[in-house]
Amino acid sequence: MNIKTLITLSFAIFAGVLAGEAKPLSYVGGTMVMQENDETGHTITLDYTFTPTEAFGLYIKQEENGKDIFMLTPELNTLLKRWNLPDGQGNIFNMSGAGVANYHGNNQPCLWTAFLADYESRRFFFSYEPRFVWDGNIEKSVWQRARIGIAPYLANYNDLNTWIMFQVDHHPAKHDHFVATPLIRFFYKTYLFEVGYSSDQHIMVNWTIQF
Amino acid sequence: MRYILVLTIGLSLCRTAAADTIKATVNGMVCGFCATGIEKTFKAQQEVKTVNVDLQNKLVTIQTKEGQTIDDAKLKKLIGNAGYSVVAIAREK
Repeated sequence: MNIKTLITLSFAIFAGVLAGEAKPLSYVGGTMVMQENDETGHTITLDYTFTPTEAFGLYIKQEENGKDIFMLTPELNTLLKRWNLPDGQGNIFNMSGAGVANYHGNNQPCLWTAFLADYESRRFFFSYEPRFVWDGNIEKSVWQRARIGIAPYLANYNDLNTWIMFQVDHHPAKHDHFVATPLIRFFYKTYLFEVGYSSDQHIMVNWTIQF
Repeated sequence: MRYILVLTIGLSLCRTAAADTIKATVNGMVCGFCATGIEKTFKAQQEVKTVNVDLQNKLVTIQTKEGQTIDDAKLKKLIGNAGYSVVAIAREK
């Protein structure tokens, strides 16, 4: 069993029990596992927040619906700016990684960086994320993602929170340039779950768990 | 006179041994999922007996153990470590 098979197997096991799309930092000393399955492929990240503005972790992605590139990189997530407001919070993060990409047995160094800007109140959510990926001589790609969301009721801390969201992905390198995904997000305490269905007919299932 | 003195000292000792209830008003605390960091951070402190997060009133209420307290600087640091800003602190014995 080679390392790729082992990691892919771990992926599949984690996919059943772990979790998605949340802020890339938690609290100092906190560990977070995120798992995303969407029209771009399958991603799992494991992050440990070691200062109020930095988290270090591992990023693994198996791309689909294009070149089926496998990526494995350590990542550093940095909070660049935060606005703590009476009725909301805004953030700008950078996430970056450097590691290895594999495509049909061709191993290449890879680099990626992404910026995430978000704002949320108890009622509304907005986010925008551009992402830049360089997979050696395999591929260079750019994509961007935007989300809006509304909470149908104002949940308190110990309640089940529900969000109705709409996500748009733009992939300049793919023939289907824009992909729209309506989704629903639930979270309760340290567990977050999202499910959606994209305009290119892929089921999205994301999970996040904080420890 | 002696009784008054004993009573005063007794009350003073009771006060010293009492627990604190600290109410911190916190900005940015709108997401229950993210605010779990506050609960986890405070539960890890040996001085803390209970912690309660109230998103609606933007309040974090901490009850300390008997005879223990958390000063304002530490309170602000811990809430800052969880990603939020303290704007007011009220204390009750």
